[in-house]
Amino acid sequence: MSKKNLLLAALMLMGILLVACQPETVTETVEVTRVVTETVTETVVEEGETVEVEVEVTRVVVEEVVVEAEAEAMEEPVTMYINWGTEPPSADPALSTDTTSVDFVTNAFVGLTGTDPVTGDVQPALATEWEASEDGLEYTFHLRGDIPWVKYDPITGETTQEVDEEGNPRFVNANDVVYGVKRTVNPDTASDYAYVTYIIKNAEAINGGDEELTIDDLGVVAVDDMTVQFTLEQPAGYFPSIAGLWVAYPQPQWAIEEWGNKWTEAGLIVTSGRYVMESWIHGGELNLVKNPLWPDADTVQIERIVGVMVTEASTSFAMYENDELDTTGVPSADIDRVKADPVLSAEFVNAPYPCTYYYGFTNNKPPMDDVRVRAAFSMAIERQSLIDNVTKGGQEPATSFAPPGIFGAPEPGTVGLGTDVAAAQASLQEYLDENGMTVEDFNALNVTLMHNTSEGHASIAAAIQQMWLDNLGVEVQVENQEWKVYLDTIGNDTDLAEMPHIFRLGWCADYADENNWIHEVFNANSGANRLRRGCVDETCSETVGNEFDALTVQAGREQDPAIRAELYAQAEDMLAREEAAYAPIYHYTTVGVTKPWLTRTYAPVGGEQWFTWTIDQAAQMGE
Amino acid sequence: MITYIIRRILGFIPVLLGVTLFTFVLVRAIPGGPFDTEKGLPPTVMANRMAQYHLDWPISKQFLSYTMGDDIVAIVTGDEDARNGTSRGLIRGDFGMSTAYRSQSVTDIIATTLPTSAQLGIMSVMLALLIGVPTGTIAALRQNSWVDYTSTFVAVLFLSIPNLVLAPLLIWLFALILNWLPVAGWGAKPPYIFGFIPQVADWNSDYFKHAILPVFALGTASAAGISRLTRGSLLQVIQEDYMRTARAKGLKERSIVVIHGLKNSLIPVVTILGPMTAALVTGTFIVEQIFGINGLGKHFVQSVGNRDYTLLMGVTLLYSVFLVVANLVVDISYAWLDPRIRFD
Repeated sequence: MSKKNLLLAALMLMGILLVACQPETVTETVEVTRVVTETVTETVVEEGETVEVEVEVTRVVVEEVVVEAEAEAMEEPVTMYINWGTEPPSADPALSTDTTSVDFVTNAFVGLTGTDPVTGDVQPALATEWEASEDGLEYTFHLRGDIPWVKYDPITGETTQEVDEEGNPRFVNANDVVYGVKRTVNPDTASDYAYVTYIIKNAEAINGGDEELTIDDLGVVAVDDMTVQFTLEQPAGYFPSIAGLWVAYPQPQWAIEEWGNKWTEAGLIVTSGRYVMESWIHGGELNLVKNPLWPDADTVQIERIVGVMVTEASTSFAMYENDELDTTGVPSADIDRVKADPVLSAEFVNAPYPCTYYYGFTNNKPPMDDVRVRAAFSMAIERQSLIDNVTKGGQEPATSFAPPGIFGAPEPGTVGLGTDVAAAQASLQEYLDENGMTVEDFNALNVTLMHNTSEGHASIAAAIQQMWLDNLGVEVQVENQEWKVYLDTIGNDTDLAEMPHIFRLGWCADYADENNWIHEVFNANSGANRLRRGCVDETCSETVGNEFDALTVQAGREQDPAIRAELYAQAEDMLAREEAAYAPIYHYTTVGVTKPWLTRTYAPVGGEQWFTWTIDQAAQMGE
Repeated sequence: MITYIIRRILGFIPVLLGVTLFTFVLVRAIPGGPFDTEKGLPPTVMANRMAQYHLDWPISKQFLSYTMGDDIVAIVTGDEDARNGTSRGLIRGDFGMSTAYRSQSVTDIIATTLPTSAQLGIMSVMLALLIGVPTGTIAALRQNSWVDYTSTFVAVLFLSIPNLVLAPLLIWLFALILNWLPVAGWGAKPPYIFGFIPQVADWNSDYFKHAILPVFALGTASAAGISRLTRGSLLQVIQEDYMRTARAKGLKERSIVVIHGLKNSLIPVVTILGPMTAALVTGTFIVEQIFGINGLGKHFVQSVGNRDYTLLMGVTLLYSVFLVVANLVVDISYAWLDPRIRFD
């Protein structure tokens, strides 16, 4: 054996010993082919004499080497397979409105503030700290200066930091925040969510195209590179939530001005978050890879996210069963099967989702203009039975509007009207007696419940229709319309005669504060007011607010969180019980399944935060 | 023949113009608009969005902008602000910006999704012909035999099982139970060669594995129809005098059936093949939806739901073009199938 072979043997031995020192790694033996050049001594017969000569030979050897199996697996990035469910309508923070787009921007960009992925509480992100002025009208945010603007090159697969004209690396600074907010408010941007910024001074006027103001009159300035100051229209205790919303994210002016509305395409998009866009085939797939330049990149465990866009829920679920997805929703038809299956039931999760399903009453349309009728209809809905037998998703019965997890939301069941059939009957009877009516007379009024066309809404409506018949003896007509026709029908400018008495709607959180709920939706003066509360005339062109409307305004201005929560609880109770202006039905849940190797959270508000999730890759690979 | 084709192509212009005008007015007549949402936009925001897509203009001006471009609008109406608009007009190949997918133009959406639908559609038509014509022929030649009854039975079966049922059934059996094929997706991705042929590297087993189930689902229903039509038509042709003459001449049975019988009996098949190909190539909603294929089919349905006026216009026009061209090809092929048909 030559010296080289000895050395190899020694190395192999060392390898084995090293491996032996790490009991947890799996080792395996593989054959390695290599070319070895060595000098050997040969005996040759030369002209009758026997001579020993040294000859250099090259030969190919196949040898067995022990390697760590993990070393091979490491080459594959930790990958999560998800289903976006649909093409994100936009990847632009200023234009995002839906959950799919928001999931993307949450992971690809950074906001002034963020939210805790479990509790939904506001926490520092780009801004490390912030303070409000004494009068609550000015908010100052102090930024961290180490978050780079990056771009991913799909050809080389490299993520590089952006540089300015002078070649200096670009970090996210106060001017980017100011630019982002101004871009959202600018009417030319036509951002759907511009209205959530209306609390900022002059935002509503500028967005509405007021010719006396320019975009520079907006109440946001960069005091210096690392400090942003907002001036508000009125004090707003919830402003840190608004400042962290995607529409107020810092945006890369140079990239947007260079590429116009194409700036969000893969290869062009400049981002500031934990993930960068690897590829985006519109309608097909959108993949992300980890941003290696993120300051705390080590905290992000999942390195690649492969996301398909399969709309069909049953197909998505089949892909999950076939191990093609790591997490997905469960189609309602499959819920019973999943719960009964020993494997799937362990992977089944029912997490609260910050949305509320409700039936709105048209408050100025007889007979729904009488609080006793509305209260009777609300109390006669057996919410728990509906959840157990119809929706089956473990939803929470709702007696008020904002779900748990939203700041200021009362605990469900503590305020508002619960199910109480006897009280419902009494309440309706009182109304009938006063008007000298019988139930038959009431039924002759043809009370109509309308919902948008969907199997789910139809079965809920059928169940509630039956409950009203059984519990109150009233016959309600159920009608449905195609989604956009429906939205048109229940719009604020529809004639009262055309309006259904009762209509179905849902509301989901934009930000985790009651202001986004009870105030923006129901306030007669400044909310959407589809319920037509406080209408002066039939068409509701003018409204007069009552105590409730004053209360939600006051709660929004208040600075002390404890007082705000108390005011909101009062307002919730007033609307759902005293006025019975609408019937809250349930708070949504996410009905999903997750593979055992994926540890995930369910964001109570905003986008899912994939950078906090982890995957046990060995288990995922099937070892 | 050439003059005939040119005359037909010129005839497309009024047809397509009519389709454009009709669709343009009709989509705007549906209640509800592209920016209606559950939450409801404040009037200021709604006004900004309407203005961005010129939806605040009178409909005639919108139509002019859509077909001719904003610079022509400025010239015709004297509204100089129109020059700031982005529409270059159908006449210059601009289908406009989608209202639902905010960074994408209708041309982008079609360029991404049509090739996938076309691949799926062409394979399905080929499968339909490969199954349909031979089974129909055999059934006709062995009329009232067990072969005929079996093929009738299978054809009726596949004609009557909707894809809504067949597709999930195929997934359940071949992907979940047998584990032979993937559940969903498509094996090739853009960019494509010439815009619609998958890259050579994609011509692998993975591509065909993804294609098998959707092609089967789409192809069998069409095959059943073709099979029935071939059988019926061939049965009729077999009775013709010229068939008897051919036999009397002592020709081989095979050449009698293939050259004299089948060729003449294909006219009804070719007639339905035109619109069938146009429909399959531009995508089918249900099969693409269930198999998670990123095709054009979904946009025919979703653009209506979204009131995405520009996208809806775009896909409708595209389908119209495919349809009139397919019908022209059908008419031309008549001349080849039946020498008595002359166009000059």
